[in-house]
Amino acid sequence: MPLIETNDLCQRYDGRHILRNINLSIEAGEVLALIGPTGAGKTTLLRLLALLDTPTSGAIFFDGANVAGSPRFRLEMRRRMAFVLQKPMAFNASVYDNVASGLRWRGLGRAEVRDQVERVLEMIGLSADRNRNARTLSGGEMQRVAIARAIALDPEVLLLDEPTANLDPVSARRTEELLAAVIRQRSATVILSTHDLAQGQRLADRIGVLINGEIPQIGTSRDIFVSPGSREVAEFVGVENILDGTVLSSAEDVVTVDIGGGLIEAVSDVAVGQRVSVCVRPENVTLALSRLSSSARNSFTGKVTWLSSAGPLARVHVDCGFPLVALVTRRSAADLDLHIGRQVYVTFKASATHVIRTERDS
Amino acid sequence: MALKHIRKGRTLLAGILLIIVLASTVLTGCGAETPVLEPKARLKLATTTSLYDTGLWGHLETLFEKKYGVELDILYAGTGKALELGRRGDVDVLAVHDLPSEERFIADGYGVKRVPFAYNYFIIVGPSADPAGIKGLSPEAAFIKVKETSGAFVSRGDDSGTHAKEKAIWKAAGLDYEMVRQSGQWYIEAGSGMGPTLMMASEKRAYTLTDIGTFLAYKGKLDLVPLVDKGETLLNVYAAIAVNPEKVKGVNYDMANNLIGFLTSTGIQKLIGDYGVKEYGTPLFSAYSDEVEQ
Amino acid sequence: MTEIWQGLVRAIELIVTLDAEVIEITWRSLTISVIATVLASVLCLPLGALVHFRRFRGKRLLISLVQTLYSVPTVVIGLLVFILLSRSGPLGGLNLLFTPAAMVVGQVVLIIPILLGLTISALSSVDRTIADTARSLGASGPQTAVLVLTEARFAVTAAVIMAFGRAISEVGIAIMVGGNIRGFTRVLTTAISLETSRGDVELSMALGLILLLIALAVNLTLNRIQR
Repeated sequence: MPLIETNDLCQRYDGRHILRNINLSIEAGEVLALIGPTGAGKTTLLRLLALLDTPTSGAIFFDGANVAGSPRFRLEMRRRMAFVLQKPMAFNASVYDNVASGLRWRGLGRAEVRDQVERVLEMIGLSADRNRNARTLSGGEMQRVAIARAIALDPEVLLLDEPTANLDPVSARRTEELLAAVIRQRSATVILSTHDLAQGQRLADRIGVLINGEIPQIGTSRDIFVSPGSREVAEFVGVENILDGTVLSSAEDVVTVDIGGGLIEAVSDVAVGQRVSVCVRPENVTLALSRLSSSARNSFTGKVTWLSSAGPLARVHVDCGFPLVALVTRRSAADLDLHIGRQVYVTFKASATHVIRTERDS
Repeated sequence: MALKHIRKGRTLLAGILLIIVLASTVLTGCGAETPVLEPKARLKLATTTSLYDTGLWGHLETLFEKKYGVELDILYAGTGKALELGRRGDVDVLAVHDLPSEERFIADGYGVKRVPFAYNYFIIVGPSADPAGIKGLSPEAAFIKVKETSGAFVSRGDDSGTHAKEKAIWKAAGLDYEMVRQSGQWYIEAGSGMGPTLMMASEKRAYTLTDIGTFLAYKGKLDLVPLVDKGETLLNVYAAIAVNPEKVKGVNYDMANNLIGFLTSTGIQKLIGDYGVKEYGTPLFSAYSDEVEQ
Repeated sequence: MTEIWQGLVRAIELIVTLDAEVIEITWRSLTISVIATVLASVLCLPLGALVHFRRFRGKRLLISLVQTLYSVPTVVIGLLVFILLSRSGPLGGLNLLFTPAAMVVGQVVLIIPILLGLTISALSSVDRTIADTARSLGASGPQTAVLVLTEARFAVTAAVIMAFGRAISEVGIAIMVGGNIRGFTRVLTTAISLETSRGDVELSMALGLILLLIALAVNLTLNRIQR
């Protein structure tokens, strides 16, 4: 039985749909990242899961029980979880009292509270600051205290909303390390939202993509990044080459897709006549100065239209009848003497593509 | 955990209760000698302001309280207001001085019996220059003179016994009170007690009607002299009335009767008759004896 | 001029020598107003939290009504409480009229609007995230309210002190439902009003000075808190 399950969860606000038909199923001990652009509804969904708000329609089941019960029952359920809000807000009290607050609300004895708080303060490295007023902490320290407040409760479910969004890179890294440690050490179920794909990949077992109030895809990070389920997901997970077209022919799991400016062969089993989007990750596109004899099914001639650097890599825009982006090392960019207007040969394998049905046109 | 939670709630509740209990303790305490929430231990008296302003009650209060072991609460109110408090049951006993309204009070069943306990006289006082020239006139003639010359006159204007007496004098002078009241700025309605009214008359260099007791008690603070002190209408009798427990529920009738008995006892009658000699050189009241009313 | 000077000298004398009557009246004034303030606080802080945290129809209307009542004349409340507590009134059986308890009741009624209104605005000044954070860490409704009140402690304390200031300086209620009974319900304001009209300026001035000192203390405390 999943620990948390949602059933056609909808949330409307001022007549606007924030969330539409969310169906989630989360196992105990799982770490789920909700990724999606700003305004997609991540916070709204987390607030519903944390039982801070009630949905317009739909149901949430926690540990098998529908949480739409009496306030008392909801409080009881809520006390099995802890939610770290996006904007870390210190209570105007000492660091110690901040971390102790949830424990005290649960009616724990003084000694129990002290042991737990000291242990957690040690973990976040703020033991020395226990008597400091939490309002005087830096952003990064405060976020750690906010996480400490939550994990001090040993919650069955830990919910985190954009845990590193408002932090400088150094604090963000420290906070993420802390979270990674928490996830390693505890058996808690964790649901976190982030707009940082890489963070989702690093921390989560599964990733749910939330776009415009819906979850078009949920799966392992490999599923999401290699085989995005829809054009929006593909766009959001950073597939830069998304080529729309129609399947012309199909043979032995390989289809030929007419994308207007050319024909692409891709591994897929979709039917002839189906409208599709073909995704090609830029790192899978190879550039060369002469036509290579390779097993790659797709080979085009094109001109470089734009060059930009991406850290140790170079991003190369090529016009080969249709626009394509390739990612090569700076070294090879130099070797190839790439510059705007340079003619290059572009190849990628049929197996390096991912075909998405664009269903509305089928 | 749930149990602990409940226990916390109880602690909070207990805390609030404790505050309330403490509050009422302090209230009833306020010094242990004055308990508040025991109705039986208190007697509420509404007294005419002229008796109060002379300081007579301040004198009698301690004697009475000592004798009966009761707290005497004295409310300062004109006769009219005092009678109203009696009708509402907010006081147990009255000390007032307006015969007609006292009789009505008893006829309506609110009072049991009217017991006179002191008397003195009203006087008309005014600035020593006496601009209206009323010195030595009868009260009625003096009032007419003041009105004709538009000399300023301060009226109690508070439905008190003194106010009732003033109205009676206007009537005896053949004037309609309502007409007098509205005849110009010379007629000032103070709407307060005897002492304050005297203070106001002195400030405004005006005439006023006062009982002699309050006037003597205030004489040192005033720029006023007695101008008219003779005339039958000027007799001023103070009477005590216990509120009728059969008509008004909850009043402390027994203690009210104790007070009336106390006031008419020989010792206190003598004390009333002597009151003021030491401070003002002359008594402020005469002890009441039956022949006064005849 | 000499009267004022002499009055002042005598007034200070009365205070410095701890004149029994001055002390007694001051102590009674303080006691009654402190009790009224405590009772009103016990009532208004939870009530304010309830109004703040609950969503209901007419909430705005209620709040602006409460704010309108900030400046309700004390004599109106005096009259109201008098009618209620009078023996022929609905609560006459309690036998409270012309007692300190009646004055406490009157002052409580007087300061409820100001305390309730200021409590609500104090709570509204606390970031909403605080309440959400508390609930997300498992605080119950009352626990959340207590936390938010704690967060707003300075503003709430200021409200309580302001309410006390209004209670101790009012005269209408004290005279109408207390009756200014010597040794029982006579407080600073009623004594000043009575003694002045009766010509005892020195005692009035002494009591007035004390009232001023209390007002000063109240304001200094307020300033300290708000700084």
